[in-house]
Amino acid sequence: MRRLFLILAAAILPGQALAANQVALDNSVFVERVTTDANGKQRVKLEEPKVVVPGDKLVFVLNYRNASAQPVDKFVITNPLPDAVRYADAGDSRPLVSVDGGKAWGLLTDLTVRQPDGTTRPAQPADVTHIRWAFQQPIPAGASGKLMFRGIVK
Amino acid sequence: MMKAPVGGALHRHRIPAISTLALAAMLALPMQAQAAGTRAGSIISNTASASFDTGGGAQTVDSNTVDLRVDELIDVVVDSSDPADVPTTPGATNQLLTFSVTNSGNGEEGFTLSAIANGGGDDYDPTVTQIYIDNGDGVFDAGTDTLYTPGANDPVLDPDESVTVFVLSTTPGSVVDGNRGTVSLVATSKTGTGAPGTSFAGQGEGGGDAVIGSTGGDGQDMGAYIVSAATVSLVKSAVVADPFGGSEPVPGATITYTIVATVAGSGSVSGLAITDNIPADTSYVAGSLTLGGSGLTDAADGDAGDYNGTRINVTLGTVAGGQTRTVTFRTTID
Repeated sequence: MRRLFLILAAAILPGQALAANQVALDNSVFVERVTTDANGKQRVKLEEPKVVVPGDKLVFVLNYRNASAQPVDKFVITNPLPDAVRYADAGDSRPLVSVDGGKAWGLLTDLTVRQPDGTTRPAQPADVTHIRWAFQQPIPAGASGKLMFRGIVK
Repeated sequence: MMKAPVGGALHRHRIPAISTLALAAMLALPMQAQAAGTRAGSIISNTASASFDTGGGAQTVDSNTVDLRVDELIDVVVDSSDPADVPTTPGATNQLLTFSVTNSGNGEEGFTLSAIANGGGDDYDPTVTQIYIDNGDGVFDAGTDTLYTPGANDPVLDPDESVTVFVLSTTPGSVVDGNRGTVSLVATSKTGTGAPGTSFAGQGEGGGDAVIGSTGGDGQDMGAYIVSAATVSLVKSAVVADPFGGSEPVPGATITYTIVATVAGSGSVSGLAITDNIPADTSYVAGSLTLGGSGLTDAADGDAGDYNGTRINVTLGTVAGGQTRTVTFRTTID
């Protein structure tokens, strides 16, 4: 009876529950602080975000890992930008971005924003609402990686 | 449900069955984007999601959510609102300087106000008598504006909110034309001041820390008075014409008096009037009074001059520095 119940439960559970064990996505946020030492040299430090005020530069770090025994395909990571954060850059990872709440996607340099008077202008980092990385190759079993982007507290 | 954040960063692991979209909606806390920045106490919540295919169709997994509470940045800007130095006169009281105090931080903050009159770099120290907080119309009115008492009615401003502050001073009687006196208004955050980056744990709006911003938590700006005084000098001269074509002061001779009033200085004099008694043993020549070469009637009427039987009087009103007024009249020797 007990065995039968377990089998039934397994059948009812959606695939996502299994996927959760196969692919892990961890999100952490740091504050990037630039200090100038006695010699006038600038040092960039990533700190735990204990104190965050407008104007601070936040570094969002996403760690992904394929913990399953098989490759995962069509791997796409999406990060909606919090309202109070203005997108700055994503290093050299060239993510796709959306400037319209996630409807249309493209490289920032390819996107335009329609203005109230009907004309369009090139999209700026401040227009970005979502960031997305779409992997061209499957993620091999056991593989992991790290993505990051920067944003500024509005 | 969501727990209230207690620290700067909160890491929460969730069951990855809820869609990212639903989660984003749940976390959409009120957040005002202003010039001063995100309001202190707002929560910045970040969650990423991954979608993929392991052969059995598209699947989605959400990351943990990181919540950051925005701390309070303390900044204040004081600006002198007077477009130029405010003219004053020696001994004048209730001389008005106008300032604005703006909370340029991101949280509600109280500010202590003070005035510095002996900051140097000027010719004299105005005596600050009162500070008033405007009622919102931008115009000083002691009846409707609030007399400021430090500690009792310190202005409390929302982010980006401004208040107009009036400083009233007395000008010392010893100042002279062209002297300049400055007064600085200082606004100091009640939470604290210090070097940018100084933080006050737990004292920020919304329960976070308060952090001193680029202004150091206090601001000041300088307004100035310029003494605009004027002096009046009168020069009276007389020309005698006797009935025989000479200039002997004999009975029947006519004396023409000329009085020149000269106003000097950068200011002006107001209520200026020239009065001269007709000397004994002489008689005023009716209708002989002139101002600037134009005749004036003897009656006290619409024009500036009159003769009342014993003296002439010419009302000049307000005369600016650098100008002269010339009055003439005639008498005959009895």
